[in-house]
Amino acid sequence: MSRTMIDIHVLQTVPPSNLNRDDTGSPKTATYGGVRRSRVSSQAWKRSTRVDFDSRLDRSELGTRTKRVVELLAEEITTRAPELGSRATELATETIKAVGIEVKAPEKEATPQSGYLLFLSRRQIQNLAGAAIEAAEADDVKKALKEAKVKDLADREHSVDIALFGRMVADQADINVDAAAQVAHAISVHPVETEFDYYTAVDDRNEDHETGAGMIGTVEFNSSTLYRYATIDVNRLADNLGDTTAVRRAVEAFLESFVRSMPSGKQNTFANRTLPEAVVVLARDSQPINLVGAFENPVRESEHSGRVKRAADALREEALEVQRAYGEQPLDGWVTRVGDDTANLEELGSNVSLTEMVTQLGELVGTRVEERS
Amino acid sequence: MTVVALRLAGPLQAWGSRSRFVRRETEKAPTKSGVIGMVAAAKGLRRTDSLGELPDLRFGVRIDQPGQLLRDFQTAQRPKKEKDGTTSWSSLPLSQRYYVSDAVFLAVLEGERGLVEGIDEAVRGPEFPLYLGRRSCPPAGPVALGVYDRGLEEALASLPWVASTRSQRRHRANTVRLATVRDAHPDEAEGELVQDIPVSFDPNRRQHAWRTITRGTVEIDNPHGTAEKGEEHDPMASLGG
Repeated sequence: MSRTMIDIHVLQTVPPSNLNRDDTGSPKTATYGGVRRSRVSSQAWKRSTRVDFDSRLDRSELGTRTKRVVELLAEEITTRAPELGSRATELATETIKAVGIEVKAPEKEATPQSGYLLFLSRRQIQNLAGAAIEAAEADDVKKALKEAKVKDLADREHSVDIALFGRMVADQADINVDAAAQVAHAISVHPVETEFDYYTAVDDRNEDHETGAGMIGTVEFNSSTLYRYATIDVNRLADNLGDTTAVRRAVEAFLESFVRSMPSGKQNTFANRTLPEAVVVLARDSQPINLVGAFENPVRESEHSGRVKRAADALREEALEVQRAYGEQPLDGWVTRVGDDTANLEELGSNVSLTEMVTQLGELVGTRVEERS
Repeated sequence: MTVVALRLAGPLQAWGSRSRFVRRETEKAPTKSGVIGMVAAAKGLRRTDSLGELPDLRFGVRIDQPGQLLRDFQTAQRPKKEKDGTTSWSSLPLSQRYYVSDAVFLAVLEGERGLVEGIDEAVRGPEFPLYLGRRSCPPAGPVALGVYDRGLEEALASLPWVASTRSQRRHRANTVRLATVRDAHPDEAEGELVQDIPVSFDPNRRQHAWRTITRGTVEIDNPHGTAEKGEEHDPMASLGG
């Protein structure tokens, strides 16, 4: 069976900022390669990605939306519990009703249909079937379904988000979902010292003879060139969603959101929103490969080349080394980059704009998922 | 006996053994349940699947680069759809998560050849992406180091030092003493009990059994060492003691 993983590598410079702070207000850090690095935690960047993703993914475009949910569900019930075969349609109808979706009265010999087009992911159908089979043994099926909270099992707003990002908060419906996307903590490619901004604030209504400050304090910040990494397991996503178009749209929206989003911490103080200097996307078929090893020896800027150039060169070296040493040849690669400093990255894939990258990646994902099914 | 060796390295790793609720701790070395879980993921087992023979493998780790402890403070919020269509956010309990940063470990699993070779193959082309104890900790560099015809103790004492080149250079001496943590033999008297054998990873009913561990040290060659190991420093010698 063919596997598809999408590795996303991003180099992004941020000016003085405090994107992600701990309980004392300092920007988060980590030690790597023996020196202190600036760090933005994976959960922080995942959240901003997720919020952005919500606005970017038009749910009306999602794959197979069907009125035949009852039929789908009845099939699933029959496969899982053949002994319920004769009651499957009735159970499915009750379940869909309990979710709060209107089901049209059946015409002659036809299975009931929902009143409007619905997109239910593979996983939701499985959850609902499970609940229906549980409820089948109860005396009062309707009541049992209500108690099983089938409404939550079919949270139609977020089926794609949960397949991709996993559950944020444990609840029974999604306890067994593993996110298809994996996001690493972003770390700076160079050593970082936290700096302090000492500020005084003046009380606007001070009398002339009061010359002191109204309050004083410090804000901690740093500036850094970050290496960000995320990977999407396309097979897992396809298992969760069960629909090629939905998988494709989800991957496209994730790439776009991951690249463009940024945690909003201290944004109004620093106005630090930037876009990446370089985005490298590699599609692989054996395993995802994190290239953070490129920066284990911290990047040092010199008179001739700044951090971005050194980081881009190190990233390219690492990618080519991995290819050479382990025979890990990517299926395909794309590079979106800015400026001369990142020119050497062009070797890793075709040089395209982000929009083209998203489209071409979507095409690849679509074909791979089709071939698999 | 046959062993499979794994190199566990990355900016961050987290190997919890007693984590509960909002305080998520980490051990200083990879746990058996963590590594077996990673191997099971590589093999494509679901959390609810039986682990088969995996928990019976003998397990040991060598701390090739100890790294540092890192505390991560994490907030989380739950979105809630209000009746009027807006979204409101309610805060969830604050949590403290601990990581080991900048560490490198050598993990070794001993068992019969077929099983061990299967693990090596699975780790080279994993069914689920590998991670070092937590989803946000992908490994840096390849994990699989291959299969060897030796026992667990011998493997820990003989496999080359896999710390980063930088720390090997900084060490200078041409041998290095490394700490090991391994499963005790049934006939070994000394040992600590830890609740660290995975029985089931089912999220509704996770279970761990107890294992006895033995701590030790081994002496390994340093490929980047330049200095002979010095004489033991004996401060009392100058007093004629």
